[in-house]
Amino acid sequence: MRKLILTLVILALLVSMAVFVQAQDMAMPDFIQHSDCEVDLTGETITIYHFGDISGAYAFITQPLLAGLADAIAYYNAHGGVCGAMLATDNRDTGGDPAQTQAHYDYYSSLDPKPSAVLLYASGDAELLRSQVEEDGIVSLISAGSVEGLYGEDGQTPGWIYATNPLYADQLGSFCEFVAADPMGVYGEEPVIGYISWPGAFGQAAFTPETIAYCGEQGVTVLETPEIFLPTDTDISGQVLNLVDAGATILYTNTLASGPFLVAKTVVDLGLEEDVQLAGVNWALDTSVALLSRTALGSDGLPAVNGIVGSLPFRWWSETSEPGVAFVREQAAANERSLPTQNIAYLLGFSTVDLYTELYIQTVNRLGSLDAVDGAALKETLDGISYSPLGLFTADWQGGELRAVPTNRMAMMMFLNATMDGPATSGDDALKIPNDDGTTIYVPILVPLTEFAPAPDLRPGGE
Amino acid sequence: MSAVINFYDNNKPLINKVLSVALLLAILIFLLPIIAEQKPSRMVQSTITGLLVGSVYSLIALGIVIINKASGVFNFAHGLMMLFGAMIFYTFFSSANVNPLAAGLMAFFTVFIVLTMNGLADLRDTRRLAIGLVVGLILTGLMSLPGRDLQFVRAIIGGLVGSVLVGLCVERFAIRPLIGQPLFASVLMTLAVSEFLLGVTQMTWGSVELPLQIFAWLDGTGIPRNIVWEAETLLGGDVRLRTDLLLVLILALLSFGAFVLFFRYTSVGLAMRATAENQQLAQSVGLRVRFILAVAWGIAALLATIGGVLQGGATSLSLNMPLLALRAFPAVLLGGLESIGGALVGGLVIGLVQEWANLLFPGTQAGTELAPYLVLMIVLVIRPDGLFGEKRIERI
Repeated sequence: MRKLILTLVILALLVSMAVFVQAQDMAMPDFIQHSDCEVDLTGETITIYHFGDISGAYAFITQPLLAGLADAIAYYNAHGGVCGAMLATDNRDTGGDPAQTQAHYDYYSSLDPKPSAVLLYASGDAELLRSQVEEDGIVSLISAGSVEGLYGEDGQTPGWIYATNPLYADQLGSFCEFVAADPMGVYGEEPVIGYISWPGAFGQAAFTPETIAYCGEQGVTVLETPEIFLPTDTDISGQVLNLVDAGATILYTNTLASGPFLVAKTVVDLGLEEDVQLAGVNWALDTSVALLSRTALGSDGLPAVNGIVGSLPFRWWSETSEPGVAFVREQAAANERSLPTQNIAYLLGFSTVDLYTELYIQTVNRLGSLDAVDGAALKETLDGISYSPLGLFTADWQGGELRAVPTNRMAMMMFLNATMDGPATSGDDALKIPNDDGTTIYVPILVPLTEFAPAPDLRPGGE
Repeated sequence: MSAVINFYDNNKPLINKVLSVALLLAILIFLLPIIAEQKPSRMVQSTITGLLVGSVYSLIALGIVIINKASGVFNFAHGLMMLFGAMIFYTFFSSANVNPLAAGLMAFFTVFIVLTMNGLADLRDTRRLAIGLVVGLILTGLMSLPGRDLQFVRAIIGGLVGSVLVGLCVERFAIRPLIGQPLFASVLMTLAVSEFLLGVTQMTWGSVELPLQIFAWLDGTGIPRNIVWEAETLLGGDVRLRTDLLLVLILALLSFGAFVLFFRYTSVGLAMRATAENQQLAQSVGLRVRFILAVAWGIAALLATIGGVLQGGATSLSLNMPLLALRAFPAVLLGGLESIGGALVGGLVIGLVQEWANLLFPGTQAGTELAPYLVLMIVLVIRPDGLFGEKRIERI
């Protein structure tokens, strides 16, 4: 009998320990501070509808975004989902074709019930769908956007699309402030920015009259004639020389992946490293740019993009003291995500899922049920939200006044030194990792140059 | 009014030519003051860069012309064949230890497709089978060479086998069933092949942009990546020449020389030209149309791979690469759809026009979006079959 009782006690202990461990596993880490659930959504599903260019020019970014979304959803679902509701994704590929964007949107908007929210990607898509999402009452999240996409043609009408990065125009404005302050002492007394970018809504988004005027007020000239190149161009020396001949001392690019790389490579090819500084939009600091650049080394023996300055409006992989960054790094490692996948978009995928979770918790708490949630209700929540997804950035659209996150900071892309305690000063002291393809990988690091601060509001009529 | 119309109808070709020449002169007069403002060094630089970039277009155009010359089909899948072939090359280039089983499968399947170009009956020939077996084994061995030192040999053989296999498979399974059908069906089929290859590329290699470091060996030879002509006193600035693009130009010129000789002096080359005229007629006089088409697609796929590898080495391998083939279309039409030399000249002209437009109209997309097509339009008005195209007379 005593043996039976002892066995039962041990069993009970084991069961309770298992339940405790399970409960510990189910709990989110302390730093993820969602609102308390007031409604149990067990048995429900919340779908994140995402459509964007998964196979075209932006695929280098969107593929890691999908990986981030998938890993985050798997993690959140394993830890209770959204008050018990499971998250799911529905991804559709536009291939960068506006006609496909329209077709996929038509499909989504004709669903019954139609989605309350969609996740967009390209500035062009935002411009195309701006009036439609408003008409259909579907709130949209996008990483960054153009003035027209977020605020309409007059630049003053906040729509239903919310960006988690500052406007591209504001990013260039931030950079001009940085150049004017010149804390590194590299920009000289009469800095002149030459704008070199891809055609289209994204590539041209930062080149606005307001930005040019604002930069001028800061004492930074932006050349009136921008140069345009295509992602397929074999050589862009003509475009770079046009800007340098016109007096540019800084080349600013609103491109991603091969775009900044090609600009940097051309500067090295033309022997202009001492004559011009490189800068760009937040995507110019992405891992993909650094990895591509290993095929073109500068005179210092480091990849040509070493030293490029750009916006970094969120926490980065190297800021491991931030628990959210450490958490995402753990998840990427657990899911065996490669170095190219560990980029801006993977962070964005994770933070988007976390933001969606908080957005739905707050909205359901207010309305009392998931069935009552629609686009308008989500919009109301977004207008009033002040939440930092995983601590990576702060989603605060200023009471609905803004449609793009207003804080920004500047950072520089550098490469890790061999002792792994700082940036390399030359190819000789850089950490070099032999790669399977026979190339050498230089490990990129982003060094913040300023603290987070409000970016200028460079909408038409903004201040 | 009717007299004017009658006069135009009676002298249409002459009037069109006069108008076109007048338009060209007007453009030149418009451009002269702008050209006069340019630094001589920039003009030389733009000319050099234009020729180098144009050589890439020429190589791409050559592949398109080969298919057209043999089958009359305008191959819209050429851009994807570039990327796909370059990705195969990259796989062998970047893998220090290629699985011999995978290499063997690829080599022997290619040998099988080659041996059966005329049909499965050819497999009854034991001598051919024995040769095929030996070739398959040699290819497998070369494609499985281990280590970094031999990565170029491994990649060149792997890229060659892979691209020829792609070309032959496209011909065997997509184009051959359409022999005798309207050409438009084959053209549409190339669009389908393009989408198919895009899907396979994405599934196999993903969408990540890949660096292809094929010009790294230059660093070990002491040849600079850029040859600098210090011409400050003579031209007012330095002129630079990219060594990687210079190699592309040399390779393009060699390819053109080889194919001109091939089409002029070999029986297969001559048969290709005959097949392009009329496939059914060619078959009726004993030409092996299926074999000829297969050879054409194999060569075109190989050229596509060469173009893709060189472009990938000069920039990177990305899903954008197929769009580059669109830039070669004006070169093909400008030179003439059936002309090998025309593809070379067309590519170089488009490259030059593009770079000069970039120089003369900074801040516009004139170089890439406008000037090549404007030149094309003017040339086609004057010579509807392109600069070197065969003049065709359609009897109604």
